[in-house]
Amino acid sequence: MVRALQQIFIIFILILLLAAVPKIISVDPSSGSLDWSFESLPQIYGDFIKELSGGSLGTYQLGRQTRPIAGDIADNFTTSLLIVLIAVNASLVISLIFGLFISRFKLTKLFGAFLNILASIPDFIIIVMSMILAVKIYKMTGIRVISLRPDGGALNIWFPTVLASLAPTLYLFKLVSVKYYQTSGEDYIKTAVAKGMSLNYINFQHVFKNLEPFIKSELIKVISLAIGNLFIIEHIMNVSGITKFIFQSTEVQPIAIGLFAMLLISLIVYISNRLIFYLFKRGFIYE
Amino acid sequence: MVAGLLFFSIFGPYLAPHSLTSALETQYTNGKVLAPPLEPFESTSYPLGTDKWGYDLFSMILNGLRYTVFIAAAVTMIKMAFGAIIGLYAGTLKRTPGWLIAFENAWSYVPLFLILYFFLAPISFNSSLKQNVLIAYFIVIASIISIPSIVSSVRLKTAELYKSVYVEAAKALGAGKHRVIWKHIFPQLKETFLVMFILEIVYVIALMGQLALLNIFVGGTIMRFDPIIYLSATKELSGLVGQARLNIYGNTHILVAPLAVLLYTTVSFSLLANGLKNRFQSNYQRTPWIRTGHEPFIQPSRKQYGRKKKFWSFSAQKAAFSALVIAFAGAGIYVIAAKDANIGVKSGSRADYNIDLKMNGDGYFTANANIQVKNQSNKEWEELVFYFIPNVFAEGHTFDSVEGTSEAVIGKVTVNGQKASFKLKGDTLTIKLKPEMKDKSRHNVKIEYGFTVPDKGSRFSKVDTNYYLAQWYPMAAVYQKGKWNKEPYMEGLETFHTGFSNFKVSYKLPKGYTLASTADKDPAEGKNEGNIKAKKVRDFFIAVMKDMEVHETEARDGVKIRLFSKSNHDKDPEASLTLAKNALTFYQDHIGDYPHEQLDIVLDDGQFMEYPGIVTINPYGDDKRFYDISIVHEIAHQYFYGVVANDPYNNAWIDEGITEFATSMYFYAGQNQAERQAFGLSHFRMEAIEEAGLGRHYSNVPVNEVKHSGYIYGQPALEILKMIQEKYTLKGESPKEVGMQFLSDYYQNFRYKEVDTKEFISYTKDYFSVPTGYFNNWIDTSKLNS
Repeated sequence: MVRALQQIFIIFILILLLAAVPKIISVDPSSGSLDWSFESLPQIYGDFIKELSGGSLGTYQLGRQTRPIAGDIADNFTTSLLIVLIAVNASLVISLIFGLFISRFKLTKLFGAFLNILASIPDFIIIVMSMILAVKIYKMTGIRVISLRPDGGALNIWFPTVLASLAPTLYLFKLVSVKYYQTSGEDYIKTAVAKGMSLNYINFQHVFKNLEPFIKSELIKVISLAIGNLFIIEHIMNVSGITKFIFQSTEVQPIAIGLFAMLLISLIVYISNRLIFYLFKRGFIYE
Repeated sequence: MVAGLLFFSIFGPYLAPHSLTSALETQYTNGKVLAPPLEPFESTSYPLGTDKWGYDLFSMILNGLRYTVFIAAAVTMIKMAFGAIIGLYAGTLKRTPGWLIAFENAWSYVPLFLILYFFLAPISFNSSLKQNVLIAYFIVIASIISIPSIVSSVRLKTAELYKSVYVEAAKALGAGKHRVIWKHIFPQLKETFLVMFILEIVYVIALMGQLALLNIFVGGTIMRFDPIIYLSATKELSGLVGQARLNIYGNTHILVAPLAVLLYTTVSFSLLANGLKNRFQSNYQRTPWIRTGHEPFIQPSRKQYGRKKKFWSFSAQKAAFSALVIAFAGAGIYVIAAKDANIGVKSGSRADYNIDLKMNGDGYFTANANIQVKNQSNKEWEELVFYFIPNVFAEGHTFDSVEGTSEAVIGKVTVNGQKASFKLKGDTLTIKLKPEMKDKSRHNVKIEYGFTVPDKGSRFSKVDTNYYLAQWYPMAAVYQKGKWNKEPYMEGLETFHTGFSNFKVSYKLPKGYTLASTADKDPAEGKNEGNIKAKKVRDFFIAVMKDMEVHETEARDGVKIRLFSKSNHDKDPEASLTLAKNALTFYQDHIGDYPHEQLDIVLDDGQFMEYPGIVTINPYGDDKRFYDISIVHEIAHQYFYGVVANDPYNNAWIDEGITEFATSMYFYAGQNQAERQAFGLSHFRMEAIEEAGLGRHYSNVPVNEVKHSGYIYGQPALEILKMIQEKYTLKGESPKEVGMQFLSDYYQNFRYKEVDTKEFISYTKDYFSVPTGYFNNWIDTSKLNS
């Protein structure tokens, strides 16, 4: 509990620091050196806290408009949350199924090989390439795969969701398959095989239970991957999500609010993941 | 793959077919219009096409690749070194401090590129920081912020190993902490570190790519307004991807080309990592009991204990690896060696001379020339062509500037030991080659001849008792573009084009004569017999003189300057020597090394003329200023004629114009004269043209079409000055500084190469980022591509 508090505290500090960095650093054009104006920090944070305690989230710039953050954040927050929530949970399920439960079948091996190839390509290249592909498909067939308009509705959401789920899937799949392979050499598996238990049974009762802690410990990393990609995806695909606050402004207020919203999203996603594990164990595994 | 990648990142810029600043100009060739953006594979000289502004993508990629790879490697190196050491020690702590774990977790929550984004966003756009500073800044920040993740993974692995039995045993035997870490834990982790290192490189590249999508390019973002576009300052790969991001809708190749290379880069690194990982894993993994579907394909290789260690045992792997290393080195050497070969106009021939020269008391010279002519072209020769200039001053010549006449007789000509037939017409000496000699690449030509020197001639001249032997030997013409480039002799400007040759001359003179020549080591005064030689010179001048005063001084790098003079003129030899010394020193400082060890200046009646290592100046004129300028002018020629060659018949303006510019720059930048005064001579020439009502003419015309020497001398000098005044801000602080820098860079680039108008334009337009049309004012650019 103390550690969790510690973590949250550090993350808070980190976010506040990050949000202020663009305000602190500047280049002195005459001497060509960097200026770190730490002395303006108290002022920045003072303003931030004052704004918050006043009950408002402050304002942000959209083009030439100044809009209150509170009014827009709900919509954007839901969009981002939806994308990350679906993406991470889907990737969890997919990688578990393909990496563990049905991984021994020929067809799955093919799928696994495909994922391995994708895994050797950095995420951002996949994102850009898939966009090129989508444009090409539209040019050739007229089928609109993606829409880059912020008001595109579902068309605007599904493609980013798929892309956001890619990185976590690849990461988790690799993790699951490596751990699975390692676990399969353990003695208790040998015992189980000797007892004549079926493969499925072993996978559920022995292997999964031993994999679970590894996956749980990596969940944060997975969510952070998804969120990292979310920034890129939202930015280049014109999805109006949380990142709008972060990249379109240099003010401390919207950046900090945006980052905190991100934190909230990952918290929700994390809880939902644990929930899935809980339900799964309740349904299939004898404790 | 990685080797190939490293190769291109080291040698890429040398291979690039176009420079970063040369844009494709819309052109119409063979019925096809070439206009940017050019699609890939459409033109052979732009293999990957060009971007919207006509810059070659392939060259940009070759230039950018090294940044991508080396920055990634640098970041990885730093963070791995620090991360591993901290991690190793942190892993051996009895109890890991809670705050450390909390910090690691918190850190891993925030995407790294976001942190970098916030650090770089305020400084990257149109930054006034230098590129290197920005790169260094990126490397430092990227390393620091990714150290925690390395620390955490190393820490976990170390902690695991620290619990092993053998560590326990080592500790029981009294091993200290450092020993345990470096002797017991580190060797276990070596392989993991290697794999991690390579994977982290991929990760850093991915990081740069993510930033690039947000328009933060490593090395700085150039932001142009109206319309807003972002350009990468270093042309680093992910930057290229980022700046072409909006091309997904059309001209996709601008985006796809760098993306594909970036993909190749990262994939080759990750494949290497994967291969190594599979190798190590299959070596150490226990065999699974159930079918998992994740079995590796590689057979484990086991350590063979008990086998004797051999220094070298042959195996396919080692052979393949060494083949790779050899191929790498070979290709590297080839690239470096071939880098220079493409500069300048090609010459298909080369001649070296070995001449015996004898002079009798009546001023009759007999010579025995032994010339080795090499065929460097891919064509067979029918004949050899030489300039034999003494022949044009034979009795009945029509040159106003030559008072006397000369007689020149060629006695015997042998080629490769066989007597050969020859034809001498004007100054053209043509020697027929026998059919069986056509395919030879070397010809030994022996020519026996004798000549006298015309009184008060032009360059080749006898003044009182002094003999000035200019172009006194059969000079091999240059074989270019499939033919002998030999034009007829004309009065006035030089008409003879020669390549760089080595000379060995032995001489015998009557008593009392002294010799000064192109050679670096001339004989002592009064010595009338000996050998002299010179290397890589375009001409070999000999002055045979009697009763001359000699003045000596020294310029930079021990270059000796000698001045030969008579006392019957009003110019002060010492002052002239000082001027020569100042000018040469100025050029040595601001242009480059003087190509010889000695500079001779001969003051006597006749032409103002430059030869390698020796110049002749006429001190008998009234115009003192012109006399001074000429001394500087002929010294500048040592660079822009002596070392940077050009065809004086077809491109006379190249050496004369640039030399006049360099001369004026001595007075302008070196002596701080006012511009109008320093370039006074050029202005004067242009005014003379105006008075004569000649109108406008191009400078790049053959000598026989030149209407006025001002187009050859003055016009280029003034136009180059104008260009520098307009464009100097691209390169430096002031026109003076940039002008000298330009001359120096031009000289270094074309040392011992030949320049023609086309080469000059492509070099200069690249240097000052101007289009070809910029020169239309004074150069006829329409024929450049033919």
